[in-house]
Amino acid sequence: MTQTINTSGYSAITDSIRNEARRILGDGTVSAVIGYTSSRREGSTQPTVITKSEDADKLLFTAACLNNLVVYLTKAKKDVPHEGRIGIIVKGCDLKALVGLLGESQLKRENLYLIGIPCNGVLGSLFNPSAELNSETIAPKCRECTDRIPAGCDFMPDVETVGLPELNPFYSSEIARLEALTPVERWEYWKEQFSKCIKCYACRQVCPFCFCEQCLCDRNRPQMVEQTPRPSGNLAWHLVRAMHLAGRCAGCAECERVCPMDIPLNLLNRKMAKELKEMYNSEAGFEVREKGPLTSFDEHDDQSFIR
Amino acid sequence: MNPENKNRFEPKIIAFVCTWCTYAGADLAGTSRMQYPANVRVIKFPCTGRIDPVFIIKAFQQGADGILISGCHPGDCHYIAGNYHARRRFAAFRKLLEFIGVDLNRIQFSWVSAAEGGKWVDVVTDLTERVRNMGPMVEFKELALEEQWSGGLDSPDLQQVYEAI
Repeated sequence: MTQTINTSGYSAITDSIRNEARRILGDGTVSAVIGYTSSRREGSTQPTVITKSEDADKLLFTAACLNNLVVYLTKAKKDVPHEGRIGIIVKGCDLKALVGLLGESQLKRENLYLIGIPCNGVLGSLFNPSAELNSETIAPKCRECTDRIPAGCDFMPDVETVGLPELNPFYSSEIARLEALTPVERWEYWKEQFSKCIKCYACRQVCPFCFCEQCLCDRNRPQMVEQTPRPSGNLAWHLVRAMHLAGRCAGCAECERVCPMDIPLNLLNRKMAKELKEMYNSEAGFEVREKGPLTSFDEHDDQSFIR
Repeated sequence: MNPENKNRFEPKIIAFVCTWCTYAGADLAGTSRMQYPANVRVIKFPCTGRIDPVFIIKAFQQGADGILISGCHPGDCHYIAGNYHARRRFAAFRKLLEFIGVDLNRIQFSWVSAAEGGKWVDVVTDLTERVRNMGPMVEFKELALEEQWSGGLDSPDLQQVYEAI
């Protein structure tokens, strides 16, 4: 049965962020605001950077605002001007990524003006951007979202959003399904998935945590990961990616959204997040973590697997 | 398979070891003239903390049948905490490998100090015999032999398009 999800608060959120953007750009609090604006196709949106208060009316928030804008703050995106304080519109999942970057000293909180969105879920894809948000069209990440109200923002629209109805979780049930398979079946599953990869690296480009100026996977001497889109190199790339994001990934699922071959990338990330939470009780949240689970240690960590 | 051929399989074991403890331990085993299988290829690293999971993937792709990762006991790291970091990293990496369907019996982690030549012999012998009984690691090798992008190149839709040209 398809359940409709209430997005009636989104127009009030739009008005509120426009007013706030006009105010902070007008009084010079920020030099730019990174937000969403309407795109060419009816109902679809795209990221935008506005620097003048009269452009504030271009901003909006709808269920089609999928992008995680935090990626534009990282040093991987050098073409975005980084002068002065930057205002940025964040949903709960985006804020977790931003907080992760704060913890890794990639960003300074005082250089940011956070406009939080009390989000009620977004669409899974922009295939039909005007689609009604319901239990079928909602993004998989939103189905099990527990942090839809961002915390610690400088501004948050004073809009009541009702919250999501109870939806079947996607990632946790999919992980449980795979864990119940035999190793051979799991290998076949991932072989099939990874062999689809065309090595476009969209997952890397869109990830807020992939900010290395030179990626290990682009290096030739020594070449640790094969660069051509062949099955063995694809497997290595996805394992390296999952490992580099383990304990850091905030679950914005942008990698999965942008993947042109529909590889369930966030499944690997969620699996790693789940394991690290179980083992080291550390997960991405709204609190800045000085050290992630894989950059810290405890002398009494489990070592039952070590002889 | 006849038993003669089965016995002919000699596993390739790659050992990633830290130079301060396990390498010295293996050296001690050698100078003490202890016997251990010649299947193991030792690669020396400054510290277990230097061992990137990508090395393990690479080793499997290049034909390793089993992998040993060994370093200093907790608290004995020459760089103070490298092995503690490695312990967490490999605990996580094991879960990832398990999730994609790699048999974890092919990977052994151990702490071998510079004085534990005997333990080195035990660890290497056990791993070699275990991998020998498991047979060659074929998954990664098969993957490496697959030249083509295998994403359904022979699907009916594509075939239809191809024929229409």
